[in-house]
Amino acid sequence: MRGRKAVVGLCAVGGIIILWFALTSWFGIIPAGRFPTPAQFWVALKQIELRGYAGSTLVDHALHSLRLIVISFLVAVGTGIPLGLLMGWNRRAEALINPVFMLIRPIPPLAWIPLAILWLGLGDAAKVMVIWFAAFVPSVINAHAGVRNIDKSVIEAARMLGTPPLRMAGEVIVPASLPMIFTGLRLSLQASWTTLVAAELVGALVGVGFVLNMAQQDIYPAMILVGMLTVGVLGWATTFVLGLVERRVLSWSLQGRG
Amino acid sequence: MGSIRFEGVGKVFGNARTGFKALDDVSLAIGEKEFVAIVGPSGCGKTTCLRMVAGFEGVSAGKVLVNDRPVVRPGADRAVVFQQFALFPWKTVRQNIEFGLRNKRIGKDQRDHLVAGSLKLMSLESHGDAYPHQLSGGMQQRVAIARAYVLDPDVLLMDEPFGALDAQTRVVMQEELVRLARVNPRTVLFITHAVEEAVYLADRVAIMSRRPGTIKEIIDVKTVRLAERWDGHERIEDVMDLESFVHLRTRIWKSLREEKAEIGH
Repeated sequence: MRGRKAVVGLCAVGGIIILWFALTSWFGIIPAGRFPTPAQFWVALKQIELRGYAGSTLVDHALHSLRLIVISFLVAVGTGIPLGLLMGWNRRAEALINPVFMLIRPIPPLAWIPLAILWLGLGDAAKVMVIWFAAFVPSVINAHAGVRNIDKSVIEAARMLGTPPLRMAGEVIVPASLPMIFTGLRLSLQASWTTLVAAELVGALVGVGFVLNMAQQDIYPAMILVGMLTVGVLGWATTFVLGLVERRVLSWSLQGRG
Repeated sequence: MGSIRFEGVGKVFGNARTGFKALDDVSLAIGEKEFVAIVGPSGCGKTTCLRMVAGFEGVSAGKVLVNDRPVVRPGADRAVVFQQFALFPWKTVRQNIEFGLRNKRIGKDQRDHLVAGSLKLMSLESHGDAYPHQLSGGMQQRVAIARAYVLDPDVLLMDEPFGALDAQTRVVMQEELVRLARVNPRTVLFITHAVEEAVYLADRVAIMSRRPGTIKEIIDVKTVRLAERWDGHERIEDVMDLESFVHLRTRIWKSLREEKAEIGH
């Protein structure tokens, strides 16, 4: 079943590539100035990897962006999940934090960019802060909902078994919330990538977002496509790794079985 | 150890004056190693009675005493078997059974010994490393019963434990519980709406009336069971065929039907 799914997926990607050839190189339906041909894309890819573009090679740009993503994602979920768990378990904490959270939540992460630059300058710290704001929200919401949706009788069973508070948190509340927490992690990762490119469009000297910015200024569609596809591939790869972790951690659950 | 006493217990959900009055003046004394079943129409508050003994609900009036002490909070001296099993799905069968023992700070060797014993008792030896979702409903409830029994509790509280099982599994589990009660007698408070189940399992059956719930009648089954030698029959269907069994069952049925008729008016 899984094998067949992979084949179907590869066929779809192959189909799009053929369509790309057909629309640009073969029949010229889309003019080359609007969208690059596969050959132009290949030239741009070779150029950025061999000679560099926007100051670095593609691998260096990609690694820099990836590093930013990993740091920001870890900071965001490292703060968001505990906060969500606390709000889910403790009514007083919820009453205290939730109103503030609801007020901050609708502010688009990119609206923090001016403040972030003002506070932290043009370096990576400002970008981490902006991504943190984006990735933090889904982690909080899902950890909160995860605790709230725990089957009441499971908590009662743990209380009946005389579970001390720390073990209650570590061996009951957290594992019971894990399926929802992982939903939050996936959304947080998605939000991290979405925000990264935008954050790098402003005041970066290296990174995939910076490549996109430079390519736009140079009116270089093939390089824009290289940048976009790099984000796509990196995003897919990180999601794939997260999926592996999830399957490992949730091996006990019904969802983890499929 | 292991007596339960309800003394004029009342329970109101919500505001004391305007709230919903679930229980009124419930009095019932359950002796050591006695098996008492409470039957009643749905919504009569029988589960609330059990939850008060477990320490999940407080009382609005009267007292609930276990070993002559008022119940304050949940604890491992009063083990509960839930209708929906309430196992920890992220723990294996062995870890589920072991969990309460770890909370009691029982050493590893002793724990392994106790868990192995209770796996054997519940015919779960080959499933120790399985996760709950890999087991059938009947198997999951065996794990839940093992998890409660292994703690050596003073009282065992069973809240419609076989209500979520199919008819055949249910019969097997009822026979199993009778066998368990013979090997290892406990004070048991058993909630059910199945009259036959109550008569088959219990020493006494308490019948509850509808809203506000109160104990209407207590039927002594044990005297009849001993006099008519029900224990001589291995299978549940043979016991259920006995005239003495049918007689008791019919009597409880009639008592419950009166309840429903009163509501009809």
